[in-house]
Amino acid sequence: MNRPIPIGTTVVMERTGETMEEMYVNMGPQHPSTHGVLRLMLKLDGEYITDCIPYIGYLHRCHEKIGENRNYTQVIPYTDRLDYLASMSMNFGYVLAVERLMGQKVPERAEYMRVILAELQRIASHLIWLGTFGLDLGNFTIFMYCFREREMILDLFESVTGQRLNYAFYRIGGMPMDFPDTFLTDCQAFLSWFKQRLPEYDAIMTDNVLFQKRVQGVGILTPEMAVDYAVSGPMLRGSGIKWDLRRNDPYSIYDRFDFEIPVYDTCDVWARYLVRRKEMEESVKIVEQALAQLPPGEVMAKMPKTIKPPAGQIYSRNESPRGEIGFYLISDGSPKPYRYKVRSPAYVNLSALPEMLRGCLIADCVAVLGSVDIVLGEVDR
Amino acid sequence: MAPEEILNQIKARFGEAVTEGEVKGVEVRLTVKPEQSWEVCRFLRDSGLEYFNCLSGADWMTHLEVVYDLSSLRHATKVHLRVPVDRGNPVIRTVANIWRSANWHERECYDLFGVRFDGHPDHRRILLPEDWVGFPLRKDYTDERLVPYTDYGAEEKVPKAEAGKPGATEAKPLKPPTPPHPATA
Repeated sequence: MNRPIPIGTTVVMERTGETMEEMYVNMGPQHPSTHGVLRLMLKLDGEYITDCIPYIGYLHRCHEKIGENRNYTQVIPYTDRLDYLASMSMNFGYVLAVERLMGQKVPERAEYMRVILAELQRIASHLIWLGTFGLDLGNFTIFMYCFREREMILDLFESVTGQRLNYAFYRIGGMPMDFPDTFLTDCQAFLSWFKQRLPEYDAIMTDNVLFQKRVQGVGILTPEMAVDYAVSGPMLRGSGIKWDLRRNDPYSIYDRFDFEIPVYDTCDVWARYLVRRKEMEESVKIVEQALAQLPPGEVMAKMPKTIKPPAGQIYSRNESPRGEIGFYLISDGSPKPYRYKVRSPAYVNLSALPEMLRGCLIADCVAVLGSVDIVLGEVDR
Repeated sequence: MAPEEILNQIKARFGEAVTEGEVKGVEVRLTVKPEQSWEVCRFLRDSGLEYFNCLSGADWMTHLEVVYDLSSLRHATKVHLRVPVDRGNPVIRTVANIWRSANWHERECYDLFGVRFDGHPDHRRILLPEDWVGFPLRKDYTDERLVPYTDYGAEEKVPKAEAGKPGATEAKPLKPPTPPHPATA
């Protein structure tokens, strides 16, 4: 129910004759459902939200300034910590930006490794989103189920990179080392296990009438607004716009794989939920195809000892689980970037939150915020 | 519209304001003077570049620069627009009334570079606290709390013969500065 109320009006209750004024409620930086240190100032008229003012910056760690004082390879571990739930995608975006700036080609096997790891990371990120989204709405079981599957992915990543989180595994020019011998069988075992789990998630969430009633018709973001706010990723596809950078602005070897782009046009939280739920299935398909096509060979191109891209600029964009992650690099020919800017999808998607919350009930705030899928690490950098 | 056509139309309409312009593949790269930047942006939006990817600041020592990255969801054209801004008085007209997405990007540019956006509906800092003084991403930003980055491993090695002597007067190898404890800072 979206009830437009001009801000500042005094509502007179017909029955009792009392007047209600606007009230401010602070959803403070410490809150179990804000997915990080986010402060939302909600302007309420009774239970209806008339406006929402997000305050960010609690996790600002001077990422861009640090990037200007490190050489290009040293920035890679910092990119992990941007969107720490999708570190592989952040690494991927950054090394792709530098390689585009240098015109560097990457060996075939490294390209396949990158796609496999990025898509497994997409599944892991969507699992966290699904688990915490359900948890916010009161469904504890889905949280446990999702994190069980995510542990299997983290075990895979640990066997490849040595790390469970913050892998720093991509390098400019390829990958630092090859997959271990056990990876192929382990990954296929995980995928066959995971495909059987997806119907379980459906039984708990997608087919659950209680869940549907809470998310359908809530948090509307029309396609025109979505484009005006430049949202990306599942938020854009949940508003009916078929735009996925893996298809529309292809990078790496995504054009060799056969996968669908799920799009739903109800523009509400339900649509975004379905988009991410479907994307997990599509990522499984991509990983299966990539594992089948994985060529032998080296994984790192011949790179100079110091990486010094030619002077120039580039804005390079990738499809991370949250949307369009863009890296804007200015190089002046030295080993350190002159200007390094990160265009993070959650930052831009969060700016559309006031638009979506206007007219919602306060109980819907958590559902809408969960559907934006923010990670404060990349919002604040 | 095709990239070449966009560039030609902009050059035709805004002649002297366009200081540089070229087409690289599907991307139009432009440099425009700040006086006409809002009109150029309005024209670009009307030509079909409705998706505002990014706005970033850049500090070239002689001047600041605001960089716009635009694209379209319907065709492959991209535009990379650079607007140099005077360093002493960096003011540029806001494009938040053309693309809503520019709102938060411009706030961040103001926060970190100090570029003021004329007509911005909510002109305040976004990432840093409201009472922060200074604009950190400028190249001449100083703060006594900034620890200079040391290239560990690149210092002079202490000669082995004198390393064992107590009270050696040679310079000891540099140790990394210990970060302040969060509870004591």
